[in-house]
Amino acid sequence: MSGFEASPAARPSRARFIAAAVIATLLFGVLAARLFQLQVVDGARYAAQAVAARTIEMPIRAPRGLIFDREGRPLAVNTPSWTLFARPADLPTGEADRRSVLARASLLSGIGLVTLQERLGAFSGSPFELVPIGPEISRDAALLVAEAADQLPGISVAAEPRRSYLDDTGAREGELLAHLVGYTGPVSRSELKELSAAGYLPDDVIGRDGVEATYEKELRGTYGSELLERDAGGRPVKVLKRLSEPIPGKNLMLTIDSRIQRIATETLKWGLEAAGVAQGVTIVMNPQTGEILAMVSLPTYDNDKFAAGISAADYAAYLNDPTRPLRNHAISDIYPPGSTFKLVTGLAALEEGVTTVAQRWPTYGCYQIPDAPAGQCLFDWNHRGFGPLSIVDAYAKSSDTFFYQMAVGLGVERLGGWAEELGFGAKSGVRLPTEAAGTVISKAWAQAQGRPDVFTGELAMAGIGQNAIAVTPLQLLNAYAAVANGGHLMRPMIVRGETDADGNLVREYSPEVIRELTASQADLHTMRIGAREVVTTGHATNIGTLRVPGALSGKTGTAEFGTPTSQGVLPFHSWFVAYLPSKAGATDADLAIVTFTYSAVVRGNVSLEVIKYFFQQYFNLDQDLRREFQVNAN
Amino acid sequence: MSTAGATATFVEVAKSRRWRAFDWQLLLYLLLLVGFGVVMGYSANYQSIGGESGLSQTVKTLIWTSIGLTLFFVAANIDYHWLQTFATPIYLAVLALLIATGLIGTNLFGAQMSISVAGIDFQFSEISKVLMIVVLAAFLASRRERIGRLSTIVGAGLLMALPTYLVYRQPDLGTALVFVAILLGMLFMSGAGIGWLALLGGATVAVAPIAVAALADYQRQRLFCFLDPSADPQGACYQVVQALNAVGSGGVLGQGLTAGRQNQLGFLPVQSTDFIFTVVAEELGFIGGMILLSLFALLIWRVVSVGWGARDAFGANIAAGLGSLLLFQITVNIGMVTGIMPVTGIPLPFITYGGSSMISLLFGMGLLQSVRVHSWKPTF
Repeated sequence: MSGFEASPAARPSRARFIAAAVIATLLFGVLAARLFQLQVVDGARYAAQAVAARTIEMPIRAPRGLIFDREGRPLAVNTPSWTLFARPADLPTGEADRRSVLARASLLSGIGLVTLQERLGAFSGSPFELVPIGPEISRDAALLVAEAADQLPGISVAAEPRRSYLDDTGAREGELLAHLVGYTGPVSRSELKELSAAGYLPDDVIGRDGVEATYEKELRGTYGSELLERDAGGRPVKVLKRLSEPIPGKNLMLTIDSRIQRIATETLKWGLEAAGVAQGVTIVMNPQTGEILAMVSLPTYDNDKFAAGISAADYAAYLNDPTRPLRNHAISDIYPPGSTFKLVTGLAALEEGVTTVAQRWPTYGCYQIPDAPAGQCLFDWNHRGFGPLSIVDAYAKSSDTFFYQMAVGLGVERLGGWAEELGFGAKSGVRLPTEAAGTVISKAWAQAQGRPDVFTGELAMAGIGQNAIAVTPLQLLNAYAAVANGGHLMRPMIVRGETDADGNLVREYSPEVIRELTASQADLHTMRIGAREVVTTGHATNIGTLRVPGALSGKTGTAEFGTPTSQGVLPFHSWFVAYLPSKAGATDADLAIVTFTYSAVVRGNVSLEVIKYFFQQYFNLDQDLRREFQVNAN
Repeated sequence: MSTAGATATFVEVAKSRRWRAFDWQLLLYLLLLVGFGVVMGYSANYQSIGGESGLSQTVKTLIWTSIGLTLFFVAANIDYHWLQTFATPIYLAVLALLIATGLIGTNLFGAQMSISVAGIDFQFSEISKVLMIVVLAAFLASRRERIGRLSTIVGAGLLMALPTYLVYRQPDLGTALVFVAILLGMLFMSGAGIGWLALLGGATVAVAPIAVAALADYQRQRLFCFLDPSADPQGACYQVVQALNAVGSGGVLGQGLTAGRQNQLGFLPVQSTDFIFTVVAEELGFIGGMILLSLFALLIWRVVSVGWGARDAFGANIAAGLGSLLLFQITVNIGMVTGIMPVTGIPLPFITYGGSSMISLLFGMGLLQSVRVHSWKPTF
């Protein structure tokens, strides 16, 4: 130990040098061993950990399927839309610096600073995520922001596909087909819990109305995924591997002809305006297949506004509108069908033997309800009555008292049963959202209102489509279509098939039969004769003089409704339903149409005038048989 | 030894050019290490800062290395005995520099560690390590008659306590620990009483918990990550976890220079400074790591051998101090990035980017060379 002390000039002790050498050797040995362990023994494990920590599986979005009309006109397309993003982790950390970056972004993008700050503040995810703080900025603004990228740390712009909705002319206009095409909107946080299992992303969109909603699965396609390497800041650096290719959504062709939709819309708009009515529906269908050619529900809304991200004010305006523009009245609302329902009562009476074709029944100005005290009678719309009538004549003249007797003769079960047979009281299954089922007379219906059974008077009223009967316009049209096509109750179709990217049909969906009616061909024929008589000799002869190519058949209907006007007139719904072969010389009806107008107080049948005008436009006739409406003052 | 005597020796050495004693191996290993550091520094900044900045950092390193090598040769030519006479002023200068740093130092990562001189940040704690070796070497040499006594250890401990406290306050725990390591190493090699030394070592261990308790939370958390890096892999232990992944990813042969993914993608936040060895390990693999370790081992062997051959206690003490410094910094730094030592922020000699460290170390190595040169006994 003390070689030093013994010999002051001597070197340090040999023992301590040896000790030092041993210590140094040991330490280097430990380091070398540790390196060997980390790199040679466990190298693969650490390498795998490192790879796992810096790789991330990212979805590759599939382009959403396009939507075309039956003529191949594009109705829903994907167009690039520029969005301003902020990545909180990359923004300056200082309050003042952050503010000045946002202020500059605000200046270039034209979006208010407060709005940007609010949108950024509302975000609560990872700071490495991109927050869309400026949706739908102009392309010029996007370019300005991109050029100033150096001075805007944490701010970026990106083009994302956005849905654009087009009309029959290819113009960006959402009102024509909003209820049918629908729109897409961002998935909500609550929906995401369920949807994320199906591959939906937090900033994903989902169909909200129309075919966009009901054909979501087909239109969305299947997202692919890829393995990305990212840097420590979470930014993707390079693609390591494609794990699965995205499968684009299917392009759909609607059964709708947007040109017919346009005519149906314009003619209905005319009728509503001329009669001072707020709501109306027109549906055009091919009765042979159930294909819906046009479906108009007015007032409508602009789905393109939703695609762009609707403002709260616009949305509130839609919600607070008493005419409920967001609802598709053609399928989502139910109304009393009035005299158009006599088709059901008549067919049931023939089938159940309540009457024969030839049998003539007395008609009355007022029909005494059986089992009711004397004097309790139900009026015919014609207070003088028609005298004795057979079923065809009664249908053509639309005698109410004739059909009261048929309904009473049938009873609740059989009348209700035939209504159901013809598709009432149940959803048709058309692939559009929020379809209503409607109401059909039944014991249960009465019991639901706290009565043991249906009153006879109610049964009689049901025979002319009042009171215990409520239908959607689509149900009514479909029942007439079934009679017109020889007894096939078709499932109304909204999508015709799948197309290529240019709108050429590549796969056609087959029409589907809900059921074959049990009615005999003879009785169906009788009812078709009745409907033909309506326009030739009966209730709607005016439209019968239109020079349409095929034999037109139809039926009017009115149903009083609501509260009387100041003049004591009850507002009424009016219906007209019609079908015909659209080509000269053809015998099978291939065009069926129904129009429903809500709560009119004018003389005449508004719906009949609308359909008249529709045919004039559709067949390009040089006739104009439209009547002017006069306010009904009784 | 008198000043005149030292000057005379200096002149004598300078004139006689006794280069036969010059340790060419020492110079060779130093140049290899410095070159290694330049290349790794370049790779560490290859992508994360951008090629241009990476290059400018490399240029800076080369400038510092040139200054350092110049100082190396100057120091090698000085008869180190001359410095012994300056021990007291040097000690006062160290204290003054460290106090000045505490008062006007630049804020770096929340710590006052450097002073800007003409735009260049200079960390005086780095040069103070080498200067304190000289001071301590002089003190221990002056007490070589009473080296085994307790008063030697107390005296040396008191000398070292003040600068250690000053750097600890900056706060620079790493440098403070280096001071302690130098003190213990020099006492041991100079022949201090082994019993007293054991006591001092024990006392250091006993004081450790108090020092740890005085640390800021973030420092303490980082310190304990080596025990269980998975405790907080995203937070305090992030660097350790990422460093281990990087080192392990290197495998036997490494991923190639400038091709380490952990390094290039910025998963090693301070990769060109204290975590430079992870870049070596990831990009050059076990082979590269072992080459670097071997260079360090050879360098320390040269330091030990100069100490062994020193003409007097002062020279031997300088070698002991430098050897302690190198061994401690190498062990703790590589131990830190391989997860067997706590994270304390101690640079890897010659490899970690930093002018102060490079210049100070090369100057220190120059002193060692001087010890070597001036221990050569001509046989005429």
